[in-house]
Amino acid sequence: MAGLVTRSLAMAEKEVVHITRDRQFLAFALGMPFVLILLFGYAVSFDIQDVPMVVVDQDRSKASRELVNAFTASDVFRVVAHREDPHQAESLFRSGAAKTVLVIPRGYARKLARGEESKAQLLVDGADNTSAQVALGYARAVSVTASRGELARALGRVEMPLEIRTRTLFNPRLLSSVFLVPGLMVVILVMIAVMLTALTIAREYERGSMEQLFATPLGRLEVILGKLTPYFVIGLVQVLLVLTLGVSLFDVPLRGSLVLLFVVSSLFILCMLMQGLLISVLTRNQMVASMAAMFSTFLPALLLSGFVFSLENMPTILQGIAAVLPPQYFVRALRAILLRGSGPEVIWSDVLALLAFFLVVLSVAVLRFRRSLG
Amino acid sequence: MKGLSLKVQAGELYGLVGPDGAGKTTAIRMLTGLVNPSAGEALVLGQSAQKGSRLREAIGYMPQQYSLYGDLSVHENLRFFGRLFGLSRREFGEREDRLLHITRLARFRDRRAEALSGGMYKKLALACALLHRPRVLVMDEPTNGVDPVSRRELWDLLYEFVSQGMAVLLATPYMDEASRCHKVGLLSEGRLLTEGSPSVLVASMGHRALFMEGPDRTALEQAIENRFGRESQGGARTLLAITPLGAGLRVLLAGDAVTSVVSWAEASPLVSTIRELGLDFEDVFLGLVAAPDASPDASSGVDSGSTPGAASSEDP
Repeated sequence: MAGLVTRSLAMAEKEVVHITRDRQFLAFALGMPFVLILLFGYAVSFDIQDVPMVVVDQDRSKASRELVNAFTASDVFRVVAHREDPHQAESLFRSGAAKTVLVIPRGYARKLARGEESKAQLLVDGADNTSAQVALGYARAVSVTASRGELARALGRVEMPLEIRTRTLFNPRLLSSVFLVPGLMVVILVMIAVMLTALTIAREYERGSMEQLFATPLGRLEVILGKLTPYFVIGLVQVLLVLTLGVSLFDVPLRGSLVLLFVVSSLFILCMLMQGLLISVLTRNQMVASMAAMFSTFLPALLLSGFVFSLENMPTILQGIAAVLPPQYFVRALRAILLRGSGPEVIWSDVLALLAFFLVVLSVAVLRFRRSLG
Repeated sequence: MKGLSLKVQAGELYGLVGPDGAGKTTAIRMLTGLVNPSAGEALVLGQSAQKGSRLREAIGYMPQQYSLYGDLSVHENLRFFGRLFGLSRREFGEREDRLLHITRLARFRDRRAEALSGGMYKKLALACALLHRPRVLVMDEPTNGVDPVSRRELWDLLYEFVSQGMAVLLATPYMDEASRCHKVGLLSEGRLLTEGSPSVLVASMGHRALFMEGPDRTALEQAIENRFGRESQGGARTLLAITPLGAGLRVLLAGDAVTSVVSWAEASPLVSTIRELGLDFEDVFLGLVAAPDASPDASSGVDSGSTPGAASSEDP
């Protein structure tokens, strides 16, 4: 037992020396969370803001100005130009300077006053799918509100026969950064945990040192413990880093228990370390190991975790693949803890799924990890 | 490996010799428990090499390839292996000082292993393998890629350890190195052709070597091949090997064939000079590969005495 601790510690310390001597690695491991979180937090945003709009107000009435104001009241649309003629607006549209054109024809206010059907036109650039969707939704909301205003003016106090009032909980402004940070945690952790453990063990095989190690009393368990402990610690540091950045820069709420958060994160890191171990034991080659790690973790973390694309809309076969991989369980548990403040009674099934993956992959890896070179 | 069985005694330097691909590395990896024999077992110090981490503490192993950590310094490499073998800080300090002193690496204690020359690197690997004071040292081509001066130094070190009672098994493709061992085993295609002390092996073979020179070396070689190439006496081949030597040829013959070859040569217009050469260890190997049945009886008495290291594996 004392030997196990000494030898595992010797292994771990040696690994720390490898890590600290490798400047590029350190820069990568600690710099990447910063870059990714800033990139996803600021640049990759699904929030629509400042959609450039050209206003063609041919009516020039109080009512038409009110309609324009209704559109520009929030920061979704930004008026970039006023034009007299819809045809002039079209050139701005084609050049990409404007994504939407609001055309209010002559007689808009007059028809409105007479209680007739009054029309305004919104041209939307469908090439930009996301902003087009949002612009259309917004336009619909504006027209309903405007209509209600007119009805109220004409008829006095009115009650809508049917009304849906929605209230979004947990992320009321539907900010994508709040939604993305937990997903980002997955991407960052898989990169470090799987990729780097796969590489570090494959490297021992590749440069021949595994042969020397196996000729010493060092056991398999000690190799695994010694090799993986430093990466486990790095993983925890990254969780802390991502959390700190998420909370301080992007107002990610921290509603649940921090302890629970770190327990779930630790379990996920362990899963990923085991996956890296299995890959390296099977490939014994850094080149193949890094490709296998990329394929088996980065893509699932990005595409099959529910990080960006919701799993419910995916084909059954992809849902099946996602179901056996850890990322979706971790993302779900993280969002539950961070955004909804859920406790163990909600996330226990996700924890169980992670635990199962950890145990299965650990057993397979240990079975395949032999002390022989043949 | 086919029925390989060899014994190395305490205080003995055993050389496993053979061409590349003969199975030297496989044999050595079986003994260190790195490769499992498909049948049979490898025994070292009476224990199976496949199990037993206690055995590993008795064996020092120096693999053929670079197997230390280039980004760790000389001291850090030693320290790491010292800890794997469970040395206390004091034990380690004493042994490190002594090993660095005798390998003359003390000046390079803080240099990274990747910045060492080939010879210094091998000495460091030797030091790492000796840290835990093994009773048996196993080395796979230890002088591969080492300059002649460092090679001599390495051999001096080996003799010193052997004289203190260590059993050393080393694999080498070089015949001149084999002749420096106390005992050699000739390995070819996974089989042990013969074993014994190098000088006894050379003497007992009964081969003789002739030097022949003439105006046309190629034609001379052809003529010898044609005349004696298929000839045999009492089941043993007459002509064992022809190798170029200077401007002429070195012809290795079965002992009793020399008279007939000399008389042929004296009559041949292709030969202008002929004289006898001394035998060296390489001839034993060439002779055995040419006529594997003609095994010398130098291996008697091998099984006597204590046997710190013994290996055997059976053909599946």
